Amino acid sequence: MIKNKHNNLAIIIVLLFGVALFYVGTDGFQAYTAETARTTKLIDEKPSFPKVTLEDSQERMYPFSEFEGKYVMLTFIYTSCTDVCLQLEVNLAEVYDQIPEEYIGEDIAFLSISFDPTRDTPEVLDKYRSYFESDGETWRMARIPNQEELDSLLDDFGVIVIPDGEGNFVHNSAFYLVDREGNLADVMDYTKIDEAAEKVTSILDAEATQRISSIPDTETGE
Amino acid sequence: MRQAMYGLVLYVFLMLPPVANLAESVMTIHMHMQMPLFVIAGMLMTPFLKQQFPRFFAKWNSNGVPGIILFMIVVIYWMIPRTMDEALTIQAIEIFKFISLPFLAGVPLRDSWKKIRLVGKNIIFVTLSVICGFMAWLYIFSPEQLCNNYLIVEQITLGWAFLFLALSIMIYFVQQFFVDRSECE
Repeated sequence: MIKNKHNNLAIIIVLLFGVALFYVGTDGFQAYTAETARTTKLIDEKPSFPKVTLEDSQERMYPFSEFEGKYVMLTFIYTSCTDVCLQLEVNLAEVYDQIPEEYIGEDIAFLSISFDPTRDTPEVLDKYRSYFESDGETWRMARIPNQEELDSLLDDFGVIVIPDGEGNFVHNSAFYLVDREGNLADVMDYTKIDEAAEKVTSILDAEATQRISSIPDTETGE
Repeated sequence: MRQAMYGLVLYVFLMLPPVANLAESVMTIHMHMQMPLFVIAGMLMTPFLKQQFPRFFAKWNSNGVPGIILFMIVVIYWMIPRTMDEALTIQAIEIFKFISLPFLAGVPLRDSWKKIRLVGKNIIFVTLSVICGFMAWLYIFSPEQLCNNYLIVEQITLGWAFLFLALSIMIYFVQQFFVDRSECE
């Protein structure tokens, strides 16, 4: 009987250990892949966009602070990519089309950053841009010529890029939304176009109504 | 106690950084060779541990059920895509893998296997087979990359390996109903 007591106690201990192990291991039964764990962590931490210099398809060089005061919808790509990047950019183009026109360029900019700066020169980016009917202005494509700066950005935003040795890269993909102050606001599933567009529009709508409602206030104050 | 020595040698060998790195560079080898070998290393060391702590095993694992549950928990834990990724990127998780697979899966499995009843063994066979089948389905048909450190091609290969494993376990399970063991021995 005493023997059995210990045995039953052991079962309970083992089960508790199991629950604890899975709870800790999956962030409370939330994240079963490293990728979901990564996005949850990113959204929690909201890292700020590091200081990098971009070179876009029109050979303009500027720091990321060029976009200060605007939301920026980001993707990470390389133009020689044959599968996921194309889909990623096609989807980004659809999000772009779904965002009300009055916000485009004013409140939000779109930016595709290449992590293959040696091959993705401004000319290459310009050609790539045309495939997706990006105007190069409100939706820009750019590379980060300085490898160190590029690595710090990929690191901060948790983009994992594995070269496969044949000139291709395996990488994780998502839509990244950076807020007006340059902090990461959200990471969205790039396959859920409508959801992403709705989310961004609702953020911009909310800010717009806030602005409208605050204008009469200041006017009456005068 | 030669067995325990072999187990220890295997255990240390698997943990050597070059060996571990090589084994972890291919997803299928990581999951279907390195991890099971750790379990086997633990199993080989079991008799020695039982000799050293006979009362512990008799007291806390008298009918084998706690041990077999522990084995299942640890094995299932290491099938989660995330844990494989983290074993590569987080040192602490890697160390946990080195400890948990031999001592929390291998040792309790060998200690429990003789103690549990036939119906318990059958439950384990079926459960493992079903889980492996599910993992096969997950890794083969998942449209997205489940592990950031491995290519999607490797993920699909791993899925097929899981299917093979699931079928093997199932065949083993079924054959015992048709083969009369007493005739062979």
